[in-house]
Amino acid sequence: MEVVLASSSVDGGIGCWDLHTGAEQLRYKSCLSPSHGLISVGSRFIAASQLRETSATSGSVLFWSWSKPQVEVKSFPAEPIKPLASNHPGTFIVGGASSGDIYLWEVETGRLLKKWRAHFRAVTCLVFSEDDSLLISGSEDGTVRVWSLFMIFDDFRGQQANNLYEYSFSGHTLRVTDVVIGNGGCNAIIVSASEDRTCKVWSLSRGTLLRNIVFPSVIDSIALDPAEHVFYAGSRDGKIYIAALNTESVATNNCGMHIIGSFSNHSKAVTCLAYGMSENLLISGSEDGMVRVWNARTRNIVRMFKHAKGPVNNILVVRRENSTNHISSNVQTLSRKQGANLPPPLEKYANSIDEDSDMSTMVSLGGGSSSVVPSYISSHLISNYIKELQHQGSSAASEMETEKLKHDYQRSMQMTNQWKKMYENLNKFCVQELLDGSQATTLDENHN
Amino acid sequence: MSCSFELSLCKLFVEIHCEVLVLRYKSNLQSLKLSVLKEEALELGGLVMVEKILQWPGKMTRSKANSKKQPGIDFKKIRRKIGRKLPPPKNTTNTEIKSKAIVLPEQSVAAEKTGLAVNKKGLTLKELLQQTSHHNPKVRRDALMGIKDLFTRHPAEQKSHKYAAVEKLRERIGDDDKVVRKSLYDLFKVVILPCCKEDNQELIVSLLMPYIFNAMTHLSVDVRMMAFDFLDLILEFYPPSFSPSYAEKIFLNYEDILRRNQYYLQDKGKLKDALSGLVRCLSLLPWNKGETHLHNKDDTRQRVLHAFEVDMPMNSNGFSYIIKNLKDLVPALINSFLEFIPLIHSMESLEGKSFGCMASILHCIDLIVRSIAYGTDKKSESQSSLGGPDVAIWDVTISSVLLKKLFPLFPLNPADHLSARDCGRLLDLNMVIAKIFFELNEWTCLPPNLLEKFLEFFENALLGKFFWATQSAKAVWEEHLIQLLPFIPKFVSRGAGYWTSRLLQAFTLTFRESKPGSMLKLACVSAIEDMLTYIESMLSIETSNPENLNLQDALLAWIEDLPLLLIQLGDKHPASSQAVLRLQLHIGQCALLNSILVCMYDNMQQSLQDFYCTCQEGGEQICYGPFLSLPRESQELSLCSLYYFSHLDQPILKSIAHCCLSDDLDSCVLFRIIEILHSAYRDGHIKIADYLSVFITLVLRFKVSPEFGSSGLKSDPLRQTLKSMTTVLCSYIAQMGDNGLVLQMIEKVIIDQIPQKPSLDNSCSLLRMLVTVDSKPTRLSEQSISTLGHHLSEYLMDAVQCIPEDDEQGTPSVQLGIQHYYLLPCFFLFDRCHKVMNLVLKKMGSAIYDSSLLLKSDKCSQHIRNCLNKVNAVTSVLLLMHKEAKLQQIMSLFKENIDNIVEEVISLQSSGKISMKIEEHEIKCALERLQILTR
Repeated sequence: MEVVLASSSVDGGIGCWDLHTGAEQLRYKSCLSPSHGLISVGSRFIAASQLRETSATSGSVLFWSWSKPQVEVKSFPAEPIKPLASNHPGTFIVGGASSGDIYLWEVETGRLLKKWRAHFRAVTCLVFSEDDSLLISGSEDGTVRVWSLFMIFDDFRGQQANNLYEYSFSGHTLRVTDVVIGNGGCNAIIVSASEDRTCKVWSLSRGTLLRNIVFPSVIDSIALDPAEHVFYAGSRDGKIYIAALNTESVATNNCGMHIIGSFSNHSKAVTCLAYGMSENLLISGSEDGMVRVWNARTRNIVRMFKHAKGPVNNILVVRRENSTNHISSNVQTLSRKQGANLPPPLEKYANSIDEDSDMSTMVSLGGGSSSVVPSYISSHLISNYIKELQHQGSSAASEMETEKLKHDYQRSMQMTNQWKKMYENLNKFCVQELLDGSQATTLDENHN
Repeated sequence: MSCSFELSLCKLFVEIHCEVLVLRYKSNLQSLKLSVLKEEALELGGLVMVEKILQWPGKMTRSKANSKKQPGIDFKKIRRKIGRKLPPPKNTTNTEIKSKAIVLPEQSVAAEKTGLAVNKKGLTLKELLQQTSHHNPKVRRDALMGIKDLFTRHPAEQKSHKYAAVEKLRERIGDDDKVVRKSLYDLFKVVILPCCKEDNQELIVSLLMPYIFNAMTHLSVDVRMMAFDFLDLILEFYPPSFSPSYAEKIFLNYEDILRRNQYYLQDKGKLKDALSGLVRCLSLLPWNKGETHLHNKDDTRQRVLHAFEVDMPMNSNGFSYIIKNLKDLVPALINSFLEFIPLIHSMESLEGKSFGCMASILHCIDLIVRSIAYGTDKKSESQSSLGGPDVAIWDVTISSVLLKKLFPLFPLNPADHLSARDCGRLLDLNMVIAKIFFELNEWTCLPPNLLEKFLEFFENALLGKFFWATQSAKAVWEEHLIQLLPFIPKFVSRGAGYWTSRLLQAFTLTFRESKPGSMLKLACVSAIEDMLTYIESMLSIETSNPENLNLQDALLAWIEDLPLLLIQLGDKHPASSQAVLRLQLHIGQCALLNSILVCMYDNMQQSLQDFYCTCQEGGEQICYGPFLSLPRESQELSLCSLYYFSHLDQPILKSIAHCCLSDDLDSCVLFRIIEILHSAYRDGHIKIADYLSVFITLVLRFKVSPEFGSSGLKSDPLRQTLKSMTTVLCSYIAQMGDNGLVLQMIEKVIIDQIPQKPSLDNSCSLLRMLVTVDSKPTRLSEQSISTLGHHLSEYLMDAVQCIPEDDEQGTPSVQLGIQHYYLLPCFFLFDRCHKVMNLVLKKMGSAIYDSSLLLKSDKCSQHIRNCLNKVNAVTSVLLLMHKEAKLQQIMSLFKENIDNIVEEVISLQSSGKISMKIEEHEIKCALERLQILTR
């Protein structure tokens, strides 16, 4: 089930709709999120940072589980946090503070693993690269910085080097409003939008500016086309501009260099954009509180969701497994009894020396077996898990084991199917070849 | 037309030829082969005819068949009668020559030269070229002079024969006689090379180069020196001729000549020329040209995103191996430099030539050191592991030579007896040596005591402790200083201990003292920009550290100077202004981390006001600052830096608002200003009251010509701007949040402005803003309702009277008319508050009554016209209101008011004051239209 989540800076909760049927799902209550402040952590639960009064010294990050509309876990980091991001498996949550610091928490334990000075001004957006090894941050000071997680956890190299960051792109003259990263690992492109009315395309491998596109209005959000032919830019004048990435400079219309076209049905500014996962759908949120789903090819509105009166400022597309079917009921009840559906709140400060021996974070690359998703879990947690496994009594462990077995089963089924198919294909091919061969020889004979 | 005509003509031609061929074919069918005919046809008419010919029925096949049927006779028997002459063969050529008379060419010895180009002495080019290889040098010289003369007289001659001439003349490059070489040099310089500017230059260069190289290895030193002059000439004439294939040879020859210093010490002028040639060669090396930056800039716009890119720039490829040759040059250069050192101390006064030589030598060393640094950079990038030891060894040789021989001489202290002028020259040399030292220091570690000495010199230079005799000497010194400035950021970021603060202080002084708009100032600004990120990151770690405090003090001092600098620069130096604005923006971007910095940055706005605009106290006099006349890019930068002030105060907002109202401001910039102010407001950098007052000022003061053009808003850009600006402002106001609160804030200001009767457009915009924040049952206070009711009627009547009426048939209903635009805010008010409508209707009635009263006392035509206009205006307003469905209902509530108006009109009509026919008719029409409403 592909689900659209939308939140607003005015309290309207988090709206949730099925993208394909349009049916509204549960509405999660009491959420006042800033832009880029809504994430789904590994599709397991929803997390959102909260706007707070300017006088408040601490921030606030709330967790919702998929099944309950109420807030389940509340955490209060040391500083107001605006943008949030989590890596794809959902083991880390990263938050950008208004002082320019970036906080990195481990989800399972809620521990604050790292905090570092990233920007001179407030961080406005955070995004993980496709393989989760890089973190890209945009800031109010107009810089876009690329951080390698390896470097951040490597204290020794961090002290040696002048800068923690891999790149610092300082082309924008005003605050960065959105950053996206394309596919292609280390050779990807980064597109950043800013209030200076430009979008800039950067090369991750070379660390250079590839393209500068000037728009007629401020761009608040970007969505990359999956094939990276174009990107969509939602602007404050209510239009969604389409900018070319692959073609050479085109200046066909009066919009400007590289801008292919635009479409608009928004009365007010477009504040956020997202791209559907399975279909060619573009989803936009607007200042008037509507969420519109466009067919990206025809640029027609397919669907509209009314979220709230206030501006929508976050849209998320999440693939959700139907949880009730998936996990056997007894396990669920077991875990519910424990209240372990959601992880503990995020810690305010980094734990000091007491666990120093274990603190060095271990990074597992998934080893040789490609089936295991690379996960970044601190050794402390792993040792806990190992203990539980040894005791054999823990429900989480059994749950994990069944999960793993199920996964293995599924994989082997897939494999057999694949083999079968391959065998059939091969067989077919051989037969055809033989037939063709004999046919050809007979033909030749006839000819002669 | 003509084309088709030609085509038909062609066809006709083909037809005719076909017929002719057919006739020929028929007449001698036997002798003519069809294939021959076909060929002819092909020549004449192409395929059409061939086809035609092939269509002839059966001819071809039959003839073929005939020939085939004949039995093959291999040897024909020929019988010859004896005594008869053999007939001539058919294919003989007639060789007989017939002529009426025989003419012999002239046989005199003196050649006839009429029609040929000759020089003053009557010699042709051919003769002159022959004479250039005469054994007598005087003849050769004369010949060269003659060629020069000839070419200047007959440029056409030169054009046609230049390659031949060059081919012959090049032999003279290695001539033994000095005068001949000199005149050849002149000939090339003045006549031949300038003429070849647009031709194939490479050919000429390739013709000359072998001979030049030949001359460079000549036994006589004079010839060699001259050869370098020739080389210099060619490089000047065609710089690309400095190609990798020649470069190696060139540098080898230079090295050779420098080694034999005993020859040239006598003649320093020659050496100076040769050295300046070497400087030219070195600066032609691709990495010393410094053009690559510009090239890349263009690229980003055009390139395909994922285009393949060569790792190394193409042009430097061939040169990379030359670096070794360059290294060999250094010892020779230093040795010859050392030859000059005794001169400084011994001689009474130094002549210019030896100074020139020394300066050139140092310049060469500087360029070479830079090239080597570049080469090692390249190497370490491309093959960090492989080429390591190799590079290191080379480097050591160079740096040790420099360390042993050159740097101990520093500083070159002037002897007491030298004049001020010579001291200045020595100072120049010192500066260059310092530059070489710092350059070298970047990639090898040099002894600290030397570094100390150089840094001290650098500090003194920055502090301006040296004296210059003349203004030009100072200019030269500044140039050198500009080249030294980029090293300051490098020292600072490396943490040079106590030197950091000393250097920074000295640098700050230079920054302050240098003339605004000068290159030195610009270099200072870019040096500050380079230091900025380092300083900021240091300050962000901790500020208590005394070293960091030094950094902070320096930064504060620079920030303090920026606004004044901007104002001093004015609009005369756009490049400098842009650099300063960029610096200001960058400082702003990272100014949040430290309260002192924030404070300093915020304080800048007070002095920055004058950059935008200055308002004289009391008076209306406005004096615009340089902002308005700067190019777009700089304006953008300065606006962006506004966003980073932690709070924008009223005075600067005021001066920005004044700027917005200026006629010279582009409307794009105006919208950009509003946009940036809005983002600043959203982030809490502007107080809401100040922000709203800026809006109201803009809307109220924006000047629009009162006359309406016939074609409406489209043709009036100012009016259009005001309209779209109002739209933008209204949308921003609507985004602010609680509309009720905003209304409370702006209500009084706007209501106070209405009775003062701003122009129609401004009132309309004000009303639009008011309507935007108001809600359906109005939230306006009683007092403002009554004020509005009092004044809106006049506004409405003005609107109807001033604006040309909409073409009801012409404009489609989708596009709202102009009149409608002006009336709409009032309609909203009527809808939300019926009382306003009541008041307005009443006011209209009384207006008609008042004007009719005036008529009673004085019945001049002016008053009659006035009165009629009022009646018409009221009528059209009421009709327009009536068209709106919503308003129609409300109007029915106030029927008695409308009736009252009708009565007034009737009484006016019946009073008999209006006597003229046309006017009577007009009032009748109005009455009829009114009565539709009351029905």
